Amino acid sequence: MNKMKKITYTLLFLLSVLMVMPATAQETLNPKRKQAIDSLALEKVRDLSKYIIIIGSKNTPWSEANRVINRAVELFMPGSEMGVSSLLRPQIAYYPVRRYFERLMRLNYSKVEIEWYKIDYVSDLRRQPDGTYVGVITIFQKFKGYNKEGQLVYQDTTKKDVTVYVKRKETQIGGQLVGFWDVLLGDMRVKETEK
Amino acid sequence: MRKQRIKTPWFVLVFFLATIIIGGLSSCNSKKKLAKEQAAIAYNTRVKQAKRDLTAMLNGTTSWTLDEQFKRLNTIKSYNIDDPQVKDLIVKVENKLNAEKAVAARKAEEERLQKEEAAKKQAELAKYNAINQRFEAIAHAGSYAEADNLINETMSIFSSPDVPVLIIIDQVDGVNDYDRPTTAIRFLNYLKDMKAYKFAVDSVKRNAEGKITELELIKK
Repeated sequence: MNKMKKITYTLLFLLSVLMVMPATAQETLNPKRKQAIDSLALEKVRDLSKYIIIIGSKNTPWSEANRVINRAVELFMPGSEMGVSSLLRPQIAYYPVRRYFERLMRLNYSKVEIEWYKIDYVSDLRRQPDGTYVGVITIFQKFKGYNKEGQLVYQDTTKKDVTVYVKRKETQIGGQLVGFWDVLLGDMRVKETEK
Repeated sequence: MRKQRIKTPWFVLVFFLATIIIGGLSSCNSKKKLAKEQAAIAYNTRVKQAKRDLTAMLNGTTSWTLDEQFKRLNTIKSYNIDDPQVKDLIVKVENKLNAEKAVAARKAEEERLQKEEAAKKQAELAKYNAINQRFEAIAHAGSYAEADNLINETMSIFSSPDVPVLIIIDQVDGVNDYDRPTTAIRFLNYLKDMKAYKFAVDSVKRNAEGKITELELIKK
């Protein structure tokens, strides 16, 4: 009887391995494709850095800044938040991304300079059970605010981490089904702030 | 004074003649023997050389081109060498060279097709130069006003502002991987915002009026 049980369990185990194997093979991304997706996600973060510069710049016309806010918001998952820190207060505030961009547009400085650098992965894109690839990209933001006399009145450097979600999706274009990689950014968390 | 005639005895003459004849015959025989020996030496040398050349061709240790190897093989075959090893080597080398010839022909055909494809692609890219230049100009506009003017002008080549724009991020095994699809107007504004054009037009679909109805770009 025990022998029968052992054989049954072994067969069940082998069957489950055989059932899982093809799915695992499909999940393995071609290294070239993986590299392209990694680059695409980094590119989206770089795009965000350009949008932030445009939104923050006092030279950007109001209509342009609003248009760019819409484009920047589209880079994020719905409900994503942006962390904001300051050397003048200890706590970190989190705002929904649209609110963050609107606040950035209205900052009480005559001139704002924002620079993002060292944009890179801290956690590689990894496949989740639902098929989404999730990774974390870190950025360094240098912020400078000037008064109307052109004097630098505030500056800081903040390290932020942003979660990136990459998922394979399909859409109809010209009657044809087109598969694409959708990159969306998640919450942007403040890790460090210094002068 | 009377000349004195010396009479040679007849047997001396016979002896003399016999010596000449026998000597001549013997000389002829030794010449033939020598020639035969020389021919044998030449044949052996030819067989040895043939074996050496065939072995080198079989092992791929010769620096001859494929054509040169075929030429040498045909020369060796023309000798009709009656040696089992040479005959065996000829068959093996002939098979090897024919296989190499087939591979070379296939490779040449592949290269020809690749060149043809590259030339076709180049011609297609040249066809899209005007569109690429328009996009470059928007990306490098000096002001918002200038960029907006260029965007308005460029919109005239599209059938509508909502024309789908697909961006190929990579091509794996002949399958295109795309970024999230966008529209013509959004893409032109994206160029204005990014101040860079990092793509090239890959394909264009047009309507009866020649206006673009679908645009496919590839990341450079």
